[in-house]
Amino acid sequence: MSTTTAPERTKAPLIPPSTHRYADVIHRLEAGGSMLPDTPENLTQIIGIYKAYAVPMDFYWRDLLYIAERVFLNPLPAFKYFISKEYLERPNSYAGDQSPLRIWRGTEKAHPELLAFMERGETRRLPKLLHHLWHDRVNMEFAEACMQAMFWHQGMGGRFNDYLESDAYKANADRAIKAYFKGNPLMLGLYALFPEMFLEQVRQLSYYANLGLFWEVMAPVFFEMSDIYDEGGFKGVPDAMDFLVNGIFAVAGRPIYHHVFIDGECFEIIPKNEGFTWLYEAALPYVEAVFYRTSPFRGTKSYNAQAGQVPSDQADFHYGILYADVYPVGSAGIPPTLLMQDMLHFLPPYLKEIYKQHRRRDEDELVQLGITFQRSMYNVTSAVIQALRGALLYPLDDNDSNHLQANRAFFEAKMDRFLRPEARLLDIQTQDYR
Amino acid sequence: MTLLLLLFLPVVVACGLPLLPAESPWVRRAALVAALGQLALGVVAWRHPPADLSLSWLPQLGLRLDLGLDGLSLPLVLLGALITAMVVLATPLAQSRPRLFYALMLGTNVGLMGSFLARNALLFVLAYELILIPTTLLVAIWGGERRAGAAIRFLTYNAVSGLTLLAAVLAFGWLNPGGVDFSFGDLAHHNLTLQQQHWLLALVLVAFGIKLPVVPLHGWQPLTYSQAPTPVAMLLGGVVSKLGAYGLLRFGIQFLPDAWSDWSSWIAAIGAVSAIYGALNAIAQLEMRRLVAYSSLGHMGFLLLALAAATPLSLQGVMAQILAHGLIIALLFCLVGLVDTKTGTTEIPELSGLLNAQRGLPFTMGLMLLALMAAAGVPGQAGFVAELLVFQGSWVAYPIPTLVCLLSSGFTAVYAVRLFNRVGFGRLDNAKANWASTNWGERVPALVLTALVLVGGIWPTFLTGLSEDATAPLALRSSAAVTVIAMAPPTTTSELIA
Amino acid sequence: MATILETAASAGVFNTLLAAVDAAGLRQALESPGPFTVLAPVDDAFAALPPGTVQTLVDNPPQLARILKYHVIAGSHRHAALIAQDAWDSLEGAPIPIRSKDPFEVKNATVVAPDVECDNGIVHVINRVILPG
Repeated sequence: MSTTTAPERTKAPLIPPSTHRYADVIHRLEAGGSMLPDTPENLTQIIGIYKAYAVPMDFYWRDLLYIAERVFLNPLPAFKYFISKEYLERPNSYAGDQSPLRIWRGTEKAHPELLAFMERGETRRLPKLLHHLWHDRVNMEFAEACMQAMFWHQGMGGRFNDYLESDAYKANADRAIKAYFKGNPLMLGLYALFPEMFLEQVRQLSYYANLGLFWEVMAPVFFEMSDIYDEGGFKGVPDAMDFLVNGIFAVAGRPIYHHVFIDGECFEIIPKNEGFTWLYEAALPYVEAVFYRTSPFRGTKSYNAQAGQVPSDQADFHYGILYADVYPVGSAGIPPTLLMQDMLHFLPPYLKEIYKQHRRRDEDELVQLGITFQRSMYNVTSAVIQALRGALLYPLDDNDSNHLQANRAFFEAKMDRFLRPEARLLDIQTQDYR
Repeated sequence: MTLLLLLFLPVVVACGLPLLPAESPWVRRAALVAALGQLALGVVAWRHPPADLSLSWLPQLGLRLDLGLDGLSLPLVLLGALITAMVVLATPLAQSRPRLFYALMLGTNVGLMGSFLARNALLFVLAYELILIPTTLLVAIWGGERRAGAAIRFLTYNAVSGLTLLAAVLAFGWLNPGGVDFSFGDLAHHNLTLQQQHWLLALVLVAFGIKLPVVPLHGWQPLTYSQAPTPVAMLLGGVVSKLGAYGLLRFGIQFLPDAWSDWSSWIAAIGAVSAIYGALNAIAQLEMRRLVAYSSLGHMGFLLLALAAATPLSLQGVMAQILAHGLIIALLFCLVGLVDTKTGTTEIPELSGLLNAQRGLPFTMGLMLLALMAAAGVPGQAGFVAELLVFQGSWVAYPIPTLVCLLSSGFTAVYAVRLFNRVGFGRLDNAKANWASTNWGERVPALVLTALVLVGGIWPTFLTGLSEDATAPLALRSSAAVTVIAMAPPTTTSELIA
Repeated sequence: MATILETAASAGVFNTLLAAVDAAGLRQALESPGPFTVLAPVDDAFAALPPGTVQTLVDNPPQLARILKYHVIAGSHRHAALIAQDAWDSLEGAPIPIRSKDPFEVKNATVVAPDVECDNGIVHVINRVILPG
């Protein structure tokens, strides 16, 4: 029994149609579809952008783990983006022949396009330091911004955040901090004076690890989707969404942990034994913190409390990609701009062709791809919604009307979050939105 | 010969335009060649100053074809030719009825050149009036929604201006003992009494006050400038209004100096009022062309102040302001026209975020920033040089009006910043941002004008070099209070007190 | 009577569940006197999960233990006692809601065979794997 097949509607539907503002979208979800309409162009756009997203993501997850596990509490981490060879070559657990649960048919090593880009950048071969200072590199700052969104919003579900306040965690962190600064009386003295500050840094590093482990999974998922699309395996947007749903379930049980390597010894700050799972402690908090909430970008909203532009209730934050106005793409201080710039380097040719035919052709690719990215993230969110429904509620072709009503209530609650004017759900329903 | 060519080149080309097929690209090219040819002739005239030309035309009326170039008219001739060339380039390629359009443009140019080159007052009046018809037709046929009203109002006011000027000139001849032959040389050496000069000056002030314009004779200007098509507005604001200043220099200061000195405090006051009025109104505007029109009105107030002060420095400031403001206003209208062509509107509330590098008009807005800064008198650009000369030169004569004008200059910054803030910065509405970006052909006039504005800012002689020698003898009061202190440091306290 | 695990083994439809219990290292815990109330998903319930789900969990005992502990309530409660409350705390920590009394539904699973008595507790057979959240 698959969780998302379209039900056979040979008899009259068991429950009356929805009266929600987004009834059309809800009915589509109930039929096994996505929030994004099922058109060939939508499919092409989202697969193309998934592939363009996965290449820098390949770097993000590796560097996030590098920072969480190796750079750790370095007080002057000027070279934290200069990933070590070991981590650049760290095999992805879900790709390559060595993988126990192989998602991507390709290599477990870094994607060749990524390596080529790290070599040349947009310009040409230069010493790495020059590439770094000139920002002609993968914009790791975006990954850190996502991490900080998760870190700041804290309790977005799962047990991760509560554990960070527990005594066990504090004991683990204390051991690691003392080991890291062994022989450094200055830092140990500072630690004795300000233990909470160091602890907070370790918590942040735990979120680095969390996000790194999350994206380690997503990169091969997106690569595999691109490969399947290339060979014609997806018949439409729902197929792509189903692949994501299955992927989410398959990896749901992956452990989330934080191991630090100091002088060759492994310190388990968050051991695997704590039972933290990829689904509950990484994916769902990530979606909530980064897709829905994030934080207002400086320069676009006044942070002045008297101006009342930023909601005082954190749950009301609506600055994630699902609500984003793509106009500021290209402006400074907007972290997603960094991601758009990264994705620009790895667009597949068929996607570039689409962009050449609309709006400003070559000149505004950043905005066009930003909007494509928004569509694709609505698709990912739909997959998460369908996966949650599959895990916590009933199959779409259930015969019990109470069950279907429970499904309906669940979908409507999810759609309620898009009632606010900034939501782009209505915009993505048409192809004109470019 | 150069002078005749200057005057008749556009005539010949304009007459030749109807012979070309309407869709031919040569129509536009011919007009451009005429303008650039004039510019080249102007440069030739600068290097090899031609002798005055005097041809008999209608001796019964005293109308002679007296043409000449001196330090006052040469910069204006160059400005006129340059702006005409830029105007041709700023005209859209898809201009409707191109032959008529370019012919009328060249016709306006002929009138302007005639006015600047004339050394005979009747010839001047003839050329002055000649400008009216093509300009009115240009506004009436290709203007904005309210073009009919704008054209009529423009025609009415400026016809009155022409008639008043004609009356003044004729009165010259009637009042002067022994009559005049209307040549400038004669008019400069008349024997009118102060009372008679007052009468004439009143007429002259009304005539050129309408042209500049100044408050309260400005009623035609905001409407006409905002309804005129972009190229026409560039020409009107850039050159035609300068004709008013030129006229006041000639007919007021040069020919009626005694009356001018008598009334100059009033004239300065009017200038100050005009400046403040223009600036304050510009702040209130919600439409870009009207804003630029009122800005122009304000800057003409500075001109009038400098003319009133009539110190050598302020008269240099007059010529500098004529050139600087001519370039800046033409640039502003050109850029506003670009915005209009691309986005379809010039209403400020409807525009926002045009600086967006991806989907906005970053080039146009970048140049607009420079143009607005120039208009506000930011150092580094021609506007600053001109305003500095004007204020420094007028301060010794009329400190209070100068202070008022300085205040108005401060207000310029207000509306410049507000305009740019609203239109350039802010959020670009992605749903509406469907326009194409500007191509290089459309950018050329704006680029050339901006370059010249910058050159004028860092090399002030560019603005005053040609006219310094001509304006100095016209001064009616010296900058004495300024120059003495500047020349030699006092060595005894008695010299300080003296 | 047999223990919970012995009862499950003899029923023949809980092979996946028993393998999971072994993999998670919970055998000893479930053999202890308890008593426990166990919501036991049948093999078909595990098979209905998308491919790879169970494999990933089996490869990671702590995570698997968490999911399994969500199916256990401390104490021995029969059907009638269970439906008297809206939700029950699982051993994992998250609550298990009782969604419907008749038919007897626990979270999004239907209890196909309630009240199977064992030495150290009661087993209720459910047709889906329930998950916290």
